[in-house]
Amino acid sequence: MSVPASTNTPTIAHKRARGPVRPFPGWAPWIFIAPFLIIFGTFILWPLLKSLLLSLEYSYGPAHTVFVGLRNYRLILGDPLFWAAVRNTCIFAAGSVFLQLPLAFGLAMLLNRRGLRWRAVYRLIFFAPYLVGLVFASLIFSFIFEKRTGLINRTLHNLLPAWNPEFPWLQEYAVITLILVALWLYVGLNMVYFLAALQHVSSDLLDAASIDGAGPWQRFRQVILPEILPVGSFVVMLSIIGSLQLFELPWVLLTNPTQPVPDERGITIVVYLYQTGFITSDLGYASAVGWLLAVVLMGIAVAQRRIVGARENA
Amino acid sequence: MTLRFTNWLSRLSPGTWVVLVLALGSSVIVFVQGKFERTGMPFWVFNKVHFTTYQPFVDRWNSEHPGTRVDMFLIQLDAFERRLLSGFTAGTPIGEILETERRVATRTFLGPEETVGFVDLADRLRDEGLLETINRPSFAPWTSRGRIYGIPHDVHPMVLCYRADLIEAAGIDLAVVETWDEFARALRPLMKDFDGDGRPDRFPLAGWPSNHLFVESLLRQGGGRYFDEDGRPEIDSDLNARLLATITTWTAGPDRICTDVPEQVASGNQMRRDGTVLCQLMPDWMVGQWKRDLPELAGKVKLMPLPAFTPGGRRTSVWGGTMLGIARNAPDFESAWAFAKALYLSPELAEVTFRGTGIITPVKSHWVLPVFSEPDPFFCGQPAGRLFIEQAPDVPVRSSSPFERLALERVKVAAIALRAYANREGKFTTEALIPEAKRLLGIARGEVQSHIDRNLFLDS
Amino acid sequence: MRYSRLLLAGNHALLMVFALLMLVPFGYMFLSAFRVGGDNGPALFEWSAHGPDVHWEYITPANFIRLFEEPHIVRALLNSIFLSSVTSLGATLVAAMGGYALSKFPFRGREPLTALVLGALVIPAPLLIAPGYQWLYQLNLLDTYSGMIIPAIGSAFGVFLFRQAMINSVPDDLIAAARIDGAGEMHIFFGLVVPLVRPMIGAFLMIMFLGVWNNFITPQVVMQSPEMFPLSVAINNLRGLYGTDSGLIIAGTFVSVAPVLCLFLLLQREFISGLTSGALKG
Repeated sequence: MSVPASTNTPTIAHKRARGPVRPFPGWAPWIFIAPFLIIFGTFILWPLLKSLLLSLEYSYGPAHTVFVGLRNYRLILGDPLFWAAVRNTCIFAAGSVFLQLPLAFGLAMLLNRRGLRWRAVYRLIFFAPYLVGLVFASLIFSFIFEKRTGLINRTLHNLLPAWNPEFPWLQEYAVITLILVALWLYVGLNMVYFLAALQHVSSDLLDAASIDGAGPWQRFRQVILPEILPVGSFVVMLSIIGSLQLFELPWVLLTNPTQPVPDERGITIVVYLYQTGFITSDLGYASAVGWLLAVVLMGIAVAQRRIVGARENA
Repeated sequence: MTLRFTNWLSRLSPGTWVVLVLALGSSVIVFVQGKFERTGMPFWVFNKVHFTTYQPFVDRWNSEHPGTRVDMFLIQLDAFERRLLSGFTAGTPIGEILETERRVATRTFLGPEETVGFVDLADRLRDEGLLETINRPSFAPWTSRGRIYGIPHDVHPMVLCYRADLIEAAGIDLAVVETWDEFARALRPLMKDFDGDGRPDRFPLAGWPSNHLFVESLLRQGGGRYFDEDGRPEIDSDLNARLLATITTWTAGPDRICTDVPEQVASGNQMRRDGTVLCQLMPDWMVGQWKRDLPELAGKVKLMPLPAFTPGGRRTSVWGGTMLGIARNAPDFESAWAFAKALYLSPELAEVTFRGTGIITPVKSHWVLPVFSEPDPFFCGQPAGRLFIEQAPDVPVRSSSPFERLALERVKVAAIALRAYANREGKFTTEALIPEAKRLLGIARGEVQSHIDRNLFLDS
Repeated sequence: MRYSRLLLAGNHALLMVFALLMLVPFGYMFLSAFRVGGDNGPALFEWSAHGPDVHWEYITPANFIRLFEEPHIVRALLNSIFLSSVTSLGATLVAAMGGYALSKFPFRGREPLTALVLGALVIPAPLLIAPGYQWLYQLNLLDTYSGMIIPAIGSAFGVFLFRQAMINSVPDDLIAAARIDGAGEMHIFFGLVVPLVRPMIGAFLMIMFLGVWNNFITPQVVMQSPEMFPLSVAINNLRGLYGTDSGLIIAGTFVSVAPVLCLFLLLQREFISGLTSGALKG
């Protein structure tokens, strides 16, 4: 937006010299943030605080609630199913970060090449899975990964007769399958982030570097990598946080009429939360699980800020 | 104004305007349409098939009893469960007549007695003689601490369904098979390798340790149970260990007779069509599903009682179950009760249900209805109804423990682990697996016990 | 130069391979939707001795016809459109205002509020289902559209995104100049700031629309009357406990995906540039 020349220029320059703070009505920021605060406070903060209290109680409904202190937390840490969930969730997060993100970055690099035609088409294709949603993806992939008649096992068995047609993708190897499905769903989204970052890397810098005799690998390391680091760490953080909250994917993918809840081979922390809360009716226990997870997530977010902040200040 | 503000239309992208238009348009339509007025007794069901089956009955009731209408709702099972429990424990609104199944109903028995939001029907049932009219053991899953909370919908006996075309073509007569051992021996010759990869492509029995239906039904058939009369976990009893070990010999090792056939999905059905699997444990409710999903198998399958674990042993089992309960805070109990009886005791419902789903009614007096003796073309002319009814007296009793679901989960974990152990150690006989089975079941029992101990309210 | 042409071709090849892999599940869904019996039915393609055989007779629109015969499906579609569009618009407005406050006004309370917003990003949603449900009941918001829309409008993620976007795209001087010229705060916001963050508006609108459209857990908790269910719930309800009609479900998922895809085609550019404007230099 252009600001037309104004007769007030000297005044503005004079005011600018005084300091960066501009006068504004004191009520202004509060008015703008009020709607968010009211709704957030009412519908998220308040139940959140109540759930914190709940996590310290054993509850079977409001009329039958007993304060039990940290008992829930102790019980959680002693439940092998919880640790199975932690294990699965961590493997999933690791797979997402170390498999999916490099692939997204690689695809972005491929798409970034100058003179590539049909870039928009490719972008749409890679991005489309994100649009269609978890539920659809889970539904389709639950069919694709079936034993014997699923597309994957069938194709692999046709190509390599030694391949076990009953390979248990959704049972023993549930976590790997989850990683693959999440990859299909989200690689396009992460690719878009990386692509935008790459396209923002100043071509002048790159040209200057090649004039200085830097080879492609050095150009990559010295110019591109530092430029995309902020986006990269943002994406990594989002990815970790999202992975740790994995719920709907295993819930739809790994359940069927004879297996209404994912078992220990595919359970994740939030599934565990949901399950214990609603299988044992123990909302206090479920809330405790949720709070444990929230604390871990907050820790990660804080750590990411510290790391990125340190780099930017370095 | 010396500052030019943007032309207001282009402040937002065209897409945003589209959304705005959608919002306005749909808001208008939605508010014009409004919500349906509902004044009758809410009747909650979770099963779509039931919903369509009951509609004529509900309509008839409403036309005969305009003052005490019934409004039927279909609520998805998870939401049903959540809302039911919230209603019982926190007083949020729920239906007055509630049809629910075992998974959900047993959860309501978890807390103190006053939180069980169903009306205790025991006295009414006794006074009206319904405890004799209806198959008595079918009340078991709905009975907690001596109180009966619902009218049973079903008996759910279980028989074996087998591919008569393939088996008889090979000259095998299953009528002489009486035990599972004989079953395995008789059908092993049919396990052929069709695609030359060294692995069999035809299996005698559908089942897998991760399949609830499979493990639970077989354990029950053999007389094993998860809880004793006082509700204490009995998961690692010797009988259970022996049964689990036996089942594992069918699912583990190179000679396994079982394969994993997923229920109600395309892949499983394809396996059934192709003859990849020959036999299936079939509760009565599965009959309707098969007729709908597998019409190609009509005239190719037959039913027979389950082979027993020991000679002369029980030849049937059970899985699932649905009941009809009335909410304690329903304002008009008598009308609700009248409707419940009119629906569940009606011979027409019994017939319609059987024709549509294969489920046989628990009302014994209806068992003489001719519909149950009709030859069923799907099963090569066998009288399917009669075959199920014959097994009804032997159906094992289902428990009403609120921890049953948990027990099921942990036993499943144990079953999976036992299979992995068998494959790893190369042990494929029942005797060799019993110690490990007992150990794994012991772990399961410990976990269930710890959950029971945590419960501060439930005192048996 | 031949070398770089080769590299370009190799580039294309790799991209095409990945793109095809990406499209496989879509193809599968597409075929199943039009097949007799859904994916429960007989195979459309057979590998016979002389190459692939297509069984044209198994292709049918019957699944779709049956889908629309289901009671409440059209109404569910309407509900979905209503909920998604209203919620996304409301959330965008609230988030834009909130992000504006946190990014362009140095005021006391900014730091703690920003920390609050950031902290809220990591709250696992299922934690809120149980207490949220009872709270809604006490507020008489159960079984109402408002009960679904209002809580969703307070999106911390949105405030976070808009804060980033405004830091990056809205110069302080501009606002200061407008104030000096005597423009009212609201006028500044709607006339100056909003156009500058147009991309982010498009992006967040799309994100929220998508989120509400695909959400099937919250509506089941809040809504009690079936005529208020959105499409996601209606299709999920097609799964029965004692039987599943997969053809119907796949057709339903198809119908559910189509409108979202159309909307995305409209909002594509904004979405992508908006997303990245929030992430860059973030």
